[in-house]
Amino acid sequence: MNYMPGTASLIQDIDKKHLVLLRDGRTLIGYLRSIDQFANLVLHQTVERIHVGKKYGDIPRGIFVVRGENVVLLGEIDLEKESDTPLQQVSIEEILEEQRVEQQAKQESEKLKVQALKERGLSIPRADTLDEY
Amino acid sequence: MAESNELAILEDYLLAEDAPLLEEMAEEDEEIDLYNEMTFGLDRDSMEEEVAKAPAPPDKGPELSLVSKNEAAVVAAVAVEDEDEYKVTEQPGLGAEEEQPMLEEMEEAGEEGEAEPGARHDDFADMEEEIGIDEHEEEEEEEEEEEEQHDEDNEEQNDLGDPAVMRAVHSKPTLESLDSAVLDSRIGSTWGEFEGDDLMAADSCAWTSSPSSILSRHMLEDKAILQALDRGPPMSHMNLDFLVSPAQRGYLGSPGLKRPDFRMMSPKSFPQRFMRQQSPMMPRSMASSRPYTPPRRASPLFTPNQSSGYVSPTPFRPMSRNISTPMQPLAMHFGPMSPSLEPPLFFSPPAGCQLKFSVPSHMTQLHPQHQRILNQRQQRGQAQSISPKKAWSLKADPYSGLMTRKEKDWVIKVQMIQLQSENPHLDDYYYQAYYHRLERKQAEEELLGGRNKQEPPKLVTPYIQKMEIYDSVVRIAGSLGQVAVSTCYSPRRAIDAVHHALQEEAAGNQRLRALHRIEKMFLQLLEVEETQRKMSLLPEEQHPRFHEKKSHEVGRIYQALKIRACDSEEEAEDEFLQVLCVRKGKKLTARLLPHLAREQAEKILVTVTRHLPFLMRKDVLDESLPVLYGPLSEMVGRMTFSELIEVLQELTRPLAGSTELPLTMTFKNQFGISLLYALLSHGERLLSSDMPLEPHSGDFEKWTDTVFLVARELSQVPKTALVEPLFLPSNLLSLFCRYLDKQTIHHLEAKMECSPLPSEAAMPC
Repeated sequence: MNYMPGTASLIQDIDKKHLVLLRDGRTLIGYLRSIDQFANLVLHQTVERIHVGKKYGDIPRGIFVVRGENVVLLGEIDLEKESDTPLQQVSIEEILEEQRVEQQAKQESEKLKVQALKERGLSIPRADTLDEY
Repeated sequence: MAESNELAILEDYLLAEDAPLLEEMAEEDEEIDLYNEMTFGLDRDSMEEEVAKAPAPPDKGPELSLVSKNEAAVVAAVAVEDEDEYKVTEQPGLGAEEEQPMLEEMEEAGEEGEAEPGARHDDFADMEEEIGIDEHEEEEEEEEEEEEQHDEDNEEQNDLGDPAVMRAVHSKPTLESLDSAVLDSRIGSTWGEFEGDDLMAADSCAWTSSPSSILSRHMLEDKAILQALDRGPPMSHMNLDFLVSPAQRGYLGSPGLKRPDFRMMSPKSFPQRFMRQQSPMMPRSMASSRPYTPPRRASPLFTPNQSSGYVSPTPFRPMSRNISTPMQPLAMHFGPMSPSLEPPLFFSPPAGCQLKFSVPSHMTQLHPQHQRILNQRQQRGQAQSISPKKAWSLKADPYSGLMTRKEKDWVIKVQMIQLQSENPHLDDYYYQAYYHRLERKQAEEELLGGRNKQEPPKLVTPYIQKMEIYDSVVRIAGSLGQVAVSTCYSPRRAIDAVHHALQEEAAGNQRLRALHRIEKMFLQLLEVEETQRKMSLLPEEQHPRFHEKKSHEVGRIYQALKIRACDSEEEAEDEFLQVLCVRKGKKLTARLLPHLAREQAEKILVTVTRHLPFLMRKDVLDESLPVLYGPLSEMVGRMTFSELIEVLQELTRPLAGSTELPLTMTFKNQFGISLLYALLSHGERLLSSDMPLEPHSGDFEKWTDTVFLVARELSQVPKTALVEPLFLPSNLLSLFCRYLDKQTIHHLEAKMECSPLPSEAAMPC
């Protein structure tokens, strides 16, 4: 097959289990079913995996059609090595709770930082406002 | 039997339900194909599919049902060449209800077959006769077995003409034997039986090599049949095969049965069916013979009547032939050199597809490193394929193959189009440069290690020849309507926005002006080199045109160099020498030299030699004069004796206002001494060769004087002051031997040979 370095190599990855990291930070794991020249992806039997510290949880999501521009990272998962991970799987509720706690902590520290900067007469644009442009 | 009947009816029912939907799908497929064709043009692939599209399954539903009822109608309706084959395979299930008579007939046929060994292809022969197929064209491609069978066909056809009669003769006419549906039912009905079992069958076949083991489980428990099965698929017992199972029949007869069906199928459906058909071990290879199998793109699991039998086209079927099948490069229609798609390619098993992706074709090869990775992965994949665990896990994936072969090809095509380039040296410079370096390295390794020559893999991007674009009308982006040519080529000047300052600035500074000139000449030179490169690619007959163009451009650059004789006082003012004072100017001259005519090149050499002291002085910081050595020494090698003397005279003529000879100065400069050696060496070569020298008067005297002068100066120069030349010709000593005494020669030898040493010793410090 005429097969070039670059996106076309995804052709070979079709019907294999893949981990896809999206631009918004979400991690999807599913079977890659279809691609096109823009690296738009169709993921099947997708789970969204949330990592917090050493724990992770999977939220079943079904079929995902991912627009290529949102893909940050994509890689095949070795089915044989999939299970031997040092991470610990927890229930969805638990991981969501963990995530919430983590985000809260992050926000707190962010707030403190902004506060401290403000006292010194400095201000940094917040990350979410940056996105607006 | 009852079970199978039920199933067959159920299947029919389901299909009838599906009909409108399927029709829609087929239309959609056609649209997509049309689009593809418009995008990529009609390649052979799609042409075939065009043909295949003609008897699109949905349209011919009613026709077929007719057909199954009346044999005569079959002959009439399906007599059209080629298309009929398709229909044959589409019909079978219709006669599912008539299984019972069929079996009787089969038994009869079996008995007959024993008596008459030639009838081993009974079932096929019958079938094709009945429908009046004339498929001579196909024959060449079919396997031997097939061919024999066709021979039989033809014979019989010639003898009897009427298919019905033929069949009657062939096997004793039973009640139903005159109905084509009977024949069809052989496939369809037994197939129906399979529907129920094939999940199991499909599973078991994944690890059983012999279909008989499955069959013996599911099929008739007849001793004779089992016996026949145990003997494998012997040709002489072929007539028993259809008694046994459609699977077995499919296995044996698959090439003949499957191919026409496959070819005739509508494009979208083919990859999927193709996949299903590909494993000869699988009972599902008969899948295509079900009635009204519509073009299907999506996973078959979504339709209930298909779900059970679908087996993923994984490469990991331990016993299948797939892995051992020699990999054929997948035909891909691309670029001007697109390889024709050979029919056998269609038959490459699906397992191959995944592996085959990494097989480079003549069109495109991978970046070497990429290739290596792929190879490793492929090997790993093959290794894994043997592990049954893996085989199971992958086989169990019923959703695979959402993307069909054709769609994958399409994606690759689109991506390849992006790589098309008219001028890879411009568009893909870094890869080209990298590849040249790789080649050089390889060549060096070969020289050193004596390894057998191997071409490094190269990524060949599809080269497109730019079509002559005839633009009678000038188009301006964003303009409405047609723009008048006059306004386009000589627009009224709205504002005076020409920048004058640049020229004035350049005029103010000599050096800037020189740089400006160099830039302009370099652009021209690049064009010349481009022309040269194109010339090497083009056929011989087009060369003169390009040659003319090239020499014209070279002439323009040479004019722009403004080489003229000048005194040493004017040296700083001279435009050519100014060019030569800049590193880029030297590079330019060096690159231009090979393209120049002989006299022009010689003029440059003389000028350089004459002003060597000046140039050497200007080059102290830059030390870029050596770039000129290569092309100049080549030039020296082509000079006649008189020209050589002329050049040497320039070096031995004492400089104005200085006692030092240019000669002595050259000893201190790498380029100078290299050039001097090259000149002397060439002189010696000319003298020692038998070629007539055609010297001018006094040339020999001048030569002798020069040699003496050089020897004297050389022996006077302290050894440490002598610079190591870029290249030390081997015949210099023999030259001196001619004219000098032994002692001086030893002295010179020591000096010239040893001169590299101090500099070498200095290196590590």
